[in-house]
Amino acid sequence: MNYLKIKILIVLVFLLFHSNAQSENIDLVNKISKNIRCLICQGQSVYDSQSDFAISMKIAIKKKIQEGYTENQIYDYLIGQYGEWISYNPGFNKNTIFLWLLPILTFIVGGWLIFKKTKFFKL
Amino acid sequence: MFFSQLGYYSLIFGLIFSFLLIFVSYKDLKIINHSINSKIISFVFFQLFFVFLSFICLIISFINSDFSNVTVYNNSHTTKPLFYKISGSWGNHEGSLLLCLLVLTLFIFIFLITSKKEPKKFRIITLLFQQIIIIGFFLFLLITSNPFSYLFPIPKEGLGLNPILQDPILAIHPPILYLGYIGSSIIFSSSLAAITQNYVNNKWAKNLKSWTVISWFFLTIGIMLGSIWAYYELGWGGFWFWDPVENISLMPWLCLIALIHSVIVLEKRSQLASWTLILCISSFTLSMSGTFLVRSGILNSVHTFANDPKRGIFILIFLFILILISIFIFFIFYKPITKDQKNFLYSRETSILINNWFMMYFLSVILIGTVYPIFLEVIADEKISVGPPFYNKLLIPFLIPFLILMAIGPNIKWIQDDIKLFNLRLIFLFLISVLISYFVLIIIGLNGLFTTFLIGVALYLLVTTISDFFIKKKINLSQKISHFGFSLLILSIILNGIFSSEISTNIKVGEKYKFKHGIIYFEEVKNFKKQNYISVVTTFRIKEDNKKEIFLKPELRIFNQPENITSEADIKINFFSDKFLVVNLVKGNEYYNIKYQTKPFMIWIWLSTIILASGGLINFFQRKLNEK
Repeated sequence: MNYLKIKILIVLVFLLFHSNAQSENIDLVNKISKNIRCLICQGQSVYDSQSDFAISMKIAIKKKIQEGYTENQIYDYLIGQYGEWISYNPGFNKNTIFLWLLPILTFIVGGWLIFKKTKFFKL
Repeated sequence: MFFSQLGYYSLIFGLIFSFLLIFVSYKDLKIINHSINSKIISFVFFQLFFVFLSFICLIISFINSDFSNVTVYNNSHTTKPLFYKISGSWGNHEGSLLLCLLVLTLFIFIFLITSKKEPKKFRIITLLFQQIIIIGFFLFLLITSNPFSYLFPIPKEGLGLNPILQDPILAIHPPILYLGYIGSSIIFSSSLAAITQNYVNNKWAKNLKSWTVISWFFLTIGIMLGSIWAYYELGWGGFWFWDPVENISLMPWLCLIALIHSVIVLEKRSQLASWTLILCISSFTLSMSGTFLVRSGILNSVHTFANDPKRGIFILIFLFILILISIFIFFIFYKPITKDQKNFLYSRETSILINNWFMMYFLSVILIGTVYPIFLEVIADEKISVGPPFYNKLLIPFLIPFLILMAIGPNIKWIQDDIKLFNLRLIFLFLISVLISYFVLIIIGLNGLFTTFLIGVALYLLVTTISDFFIKKKINLSQKISHFGFSLLILSIILNGIFSSEISTNIKVGEKYKFKHGIIYFEEVKNFKKQNYISVVTTFRIKEDNKKEIFLKPELRIFNQPENITSEADIKINFFSDKFLVVNLVKGNEYYNIKYQTKPFMIWIWLSTIILASGGLINFFQRKLNEK
């Protein structure tokens, strides 16, 4: 009797975890596919597209998650396969230094100009 | 046939009037009196008339399905409903340019008849600069994109309009957007004219402000319509994709916001003249660059429907000419009216400068994010994509200080304010907002310092604007409404982002699918034959825990001309949350792929945008009333 209870409990716990893991998987697939470009579409993400490419891509991402890849590992894997073009999240490397720094520089220069044009005390 | 010919010759007549106008205006410039030659106004009217006639001819060709016209052949079909035949006339490259030209000529006509109080020379020179732009568009149309090209032998049937463009909102989206884009042409021309006439002063600023707010109003509504369309037609429940073409519309929009604010300083305090001029020139240049990037096909985007390198080069040359002219005039003719002096830290002037500072930062993020990949590909032959993660990382953190300053700014007086007045009310409201945000997030079971602050400051702007509204004796109604709309917009976007949820599965008729909070039943599929497509209507019954049962009927439309399937989502719009269901065919079997989404505060995004824009409209009419 006790043994059966424990067995049921184990199954229940397993089911609970399993279903949880399942829904987390789907959320993660959605999250990743939003950041991946559908290569055969005009400016759509894999998430937004229903093309064959996008569908097979979603399956591939799901498979990688089941194999135990982390989110970042999946991005790295896809970039390795298809090149930087596939990722909507440009990394920080020698090609993208100015992409990240120019806006920040604009902000700093703007702030400096305003600082120069401001009086801080009553004169 | 006849209408194509008529339309084409009307265009040529319109172009001839441009040259006549330049000639007459030049002669009239030498005559010193107060009113401009009546010939000029009638010529501008005739030009408008001919462009209008040409536009009507194009529409008639579309209605008649006159396939001897290449544009009609490429974009229409006999079975298309009348409404889309008409809207199809501007749903393509050639027609949309003709519409741009129509708006250009319309606006300069409106400018001339509404600017009678302005100096004569200023009006004429504005007209001249506008004519340069108009000639550019005429030549672009006639040389590279003639909407009335002849096709022989005459085909029996056209190729049809892209089905996703056959939509009521998309029919009015381009015209409204163009009113915004092209409105900035008047800002551009009048700023160059003001420079040459040494007329960059508060009087000019007053007139300029009306054009700025009205252009911004149309641009806001135009962008919003595009976004609504994307929500139910294009995307799977998304409303903004950071697509390059969306970004391009956002750039002049941000520039116009900066201009709306800086022009107040020019009007009230006769300061920031040169900066305001730079913004005037940039807002139109950004609109034009947008046209270049979209039409040349350089960008990879959902919007690139017609691309041809010849067109790209033409626009590029035209753009360079415009920029060169403006730089030349700015540096040769511009004499600052007053020396810009330093402002006090606690002054309205500085707070407006800070607004401009953030606007320019947001603009630079979007500009660099959009064009950087193009340059990188040319220079280093590396292809990268810049998408939502980039914009989120660079924009959202800056929203926090921006929203705080936006709440405080309108409370600071001109010239100099006492630090003492930096008052308890504002600090109290800030603490309250952050606390509310903190507790609300705890109740929902979310935490995170960043989210707490983000929602907190958006709330802060909201409550401060409302409290200003009731406390202050003299309120600036349009400003309050727009700031209120903006805070609501940011709040709705954040909450929508946090609380959206979705379920996606494959299912066939008669099956049900259980998910965490309920069950979806796939009830039935029905086919209907429509005028130019077959409509597949699916019915789903959805029962969620503790909620009423709802029925959703998403649809698939199978078009023949051109062959295409579009998917029409069914959306149950609710005050607090939209239920969004969309189906797609799964190839090769009877299963349908469905995606069921819960989108909280969706309608608030649209409503708050309308509130935001209406502030501009109110400001426009208030100014018109005050003039009288």
